[in-house]
Amino acid sequence: MTKYIINRFLQLVLVFFVFLVSSYLLFNAMPGDAFTSLLLNPQLPPDAYEKTIALYGLDRPLSERVIKYVQNFFKGDFGFSYRYYPKSPIELIAERLPRTLMLFALVNIISFYTGFLVGKILAWRRGSKSETWLTLASVLSYTVFYPWFALLMLWFFGYKMGWFPIGKFLYPEKWYDAPFDSDVVFMMMIKFTVVVSIIQFIAYLFTRNIESLSLRRNARLLSLVLIFIGSYFYWNTGDALIKKPYAADISFHMILPTIVVTIVAFAGTALLTRTTMMEVLKEDYIQTARAKGLSQKRIRDRHAARTALLPVVTSFIFTIVTIIDGSVLTEQIFSWPGMGQLLLQAVLNEDIPVAMAAFSFVGIFALVAHFVADISYAYLDPRIRIKSQG
Amino acid sequence: MSKTVLKVENLNMHYETIAGNVSAVRDVSFELKEGESFGLVGESGCGKTSVAMSLLQLQADNAKISSGSIKLNDEELVTKTEKELRKIRWKGISIVFQGAMNAWNPVVKIGEQIREAIREHYPNNSKEENSEKIKKLFDIVGLEHSIMNRFPHELSGGMKQRAVIALALSCDPKVLIADEPTTALDVVIQDQILKEISKVQELLGLSLIYISHDIAVIAEMTSNMAVMYAGSIVEMGKTSEIFSNPRHAYTKLLLESTPSIVGEKKKLRSLDGEPPSLIGDIKGCTFSPRCPEPSDSCKNQSLEMGLIEAAPDHFVDQCCVECV
Ligand SMILES: Nc1ncnc2c1ncn2[C@@H]1O[C@H](COP(=O)(O)OP(=O)(O)O)[C@@H](O)[C@H]1O
Ligand code: SF4
Ligand SMILES: [Mg+2]
Repeated sequence: MTKYIINRFLQLVLVFFVFLVSSYLLFNAMPGDAFTSLLLNPQLPPDAYEKTIALYGLDRPLSERVIKYVQNFFKGDFGFSYRYYPKSPIELIAERLPRTLMLFALVNIISFYTGFLVGKILAWRRGSKSETWLTLASVLSYTVFYPWFALLMLWFFGYKMGWFPIGKFLYPEKWYDAPFDSDVVFMMMIKFTVVVSIIQFIAYLFTRNIESLSLRRNARLLSLVLIFIGSYFYWNTGDALIKKPYAADISFHMILPTIVVTIVAFAGTALLTRTTMMEVLKEDYIQTARAKGLSQKRIRDRHAARTALLPVVTSFIFTIVTIIDGSVLTEQIFSWPGMGQLLLQAVLNEDIPVAMAAFSFVGIFALVAHFVADISYAYLDPRIRIKSQG
Repeated sequence: MSKTVLKVENLNMHYETIAGNVSAVRDVSFELKEGESFGLVGESGCGKTSVAMSLLQLQADNAKISSGSIKLNDEELVTKTEKELRKIRWKGISIVFQGAMNAWNPVVKIGEQIREAIREHYPNNSKEENSEKIKKLFDIVGLEHSIMNRFPHELSGGMKQRAVIALALSCDPKVLIADEPTTALDVVIQDQILKEISKVQELLGLSLIYISHDIAVIAEMTSNMAVMYAGSIVEMGKTSEIFSNPRHAYTKLLLESTPSIVGEKKKLRSLDGEPPSLIGDIKGCTFSPRCPEPSDSCKNQSLEMGLIEAAPDHFVDQCCVECV
């Protein structure tokens, strides 16, 4: 397994280099001299021109410029934003990355899980009325044109019903006298989520060895309750108590995008899960599981769904890039000021340094997501796990 | 006389298909005594697996048991609910499936898959007790203990099959069904597995139902046997008696077409033709279209079917007794 991970990691690094170089070439090939044209912007101070030429080696041949660009990248030197001079692209990204991370992770975990759950039920209840309706709904949601649907939902729930905010990730009026930045709260929320997930994972690992099933279930329930109580105290004491209303505001703004994306994105997973699970249900080991006297739920979850998960995860790995595309769109529709919006605006404004930095970070993001999915796939499928040891 | 563990009476089971009802089990009755090994032999498609599945009440969704009774230690299984049946499965009757090579879930460790069964039926066992039990079973079937922590794809076919036997024994079943447990294994391994099952059967005093299309294997494995043709039992009795004194034309032909039994001198007879379609009712002797020497009365199809005791403890389809 370690060998597998190292292998994958080396691949990742290689792909990233290719990505960096080709993204530079892509920007380089943009019509007009993108690097210099905006430097004629009268708002920029005169020395910005020299700085940029020196940074990018603009007076050097292309091959040297590429190398310089890669070097700069690893030095973390992206120059400065043309538009928000003298802010550096890194500053802009640091502000927006947590926002994207939070929404992206939440939306995708929820929609993947929903899809898997629905697909599982569809296959299990094959031929029932509920299956017919759920399948129909899934196909509808799979084929619907996403931007149109998202805008419709936004209009209905945000404007017509007024249940949810129409956009943005916070109500500015609430933050008017806030003693800190929204990023601080975002980071805190992310940290909280990560810690809770880790604790839950540890609890899962520990309870895995309990032999009696009912005892195991109770232990897991208890760990959930404890986490819940712990969270309650965390958010009601000290620093977190002050930040709570702000965190709540941000969470409230995440609801609608999460629901909308889930409705659109769950169907692909659901339909695929349904198909693979129906295949798995024909396998001999499902019959063995039934003969062993296991409960229906256990056969479904432990034997059928567990194996059916494999191809579903594979396809998920392949679609990660499209998911990231989609999140650019989502940010635009819900005016969520994240990385996607930053990238889009930078490109539209020809703010090349920011665009390139944002582009690279989205790339890193995609590669890392891919890497994580790959590793979890290997974890799920012992056939890969074992082979890579030998 | 030892106790009867399993008693099947007039079992009828059919599959509902678009083409009509496939009557895969027709009026099947037999008894299994404690510690006895009972063979079920017949060509592929004659309904052996259907009988086995009915015993476990695990028949396919389109299968219907129209009548008959299956009693495990005087407990009627046919009328039991799914929940009650779950308690019977594996602990009352366990099975080594046909094509048991695929009996393992590829992503769960062998040990865990056995443990899971034990856990279901002995919920109060500790982890150590269960491990001990699995180790003991592995000793019996000749597997290393470390196999517990392996995944199915790391095992050879023979090892998988041994592990399947260990799995089948894990909840101390009263009856073990082995449904063609050696298909898909190569010949040498087949032999080993057969010996293993025989050994285990004797060692544990298991009540075994051994299913095969190969009558030679039945001779090796069982003390009592039944010959199935087109969904019904046509001859039943002591294995030695049936081999030395076969009465039904189909049994005779089965024996004569098996080289290892007859020896080299006698000319092998081949079994021509196909078994009949099981859709709908069949009148008279089901074997008559393929019978080498049908008598006149066989042909008019007026003969009654059903087992009669032709000699002590030797049952034959009455049509075949009366026609000769
Ligand atoms: N689920 C099913 N639906 C319809 N027909 C079936 C089904 N399962 C088995 N059959 C038919 O029932 C007959 C008996 O099959 P089976 O019990 O598997 O025989 P055997 O085990 O002796 O080979 C065969 O004709 C087979 O085609
Ligand atoms: S009853 Fe007649 S036709 Fe049928 S097997 Fe016996 S001899 Fe042949
Ligand atoms: Mg069969």
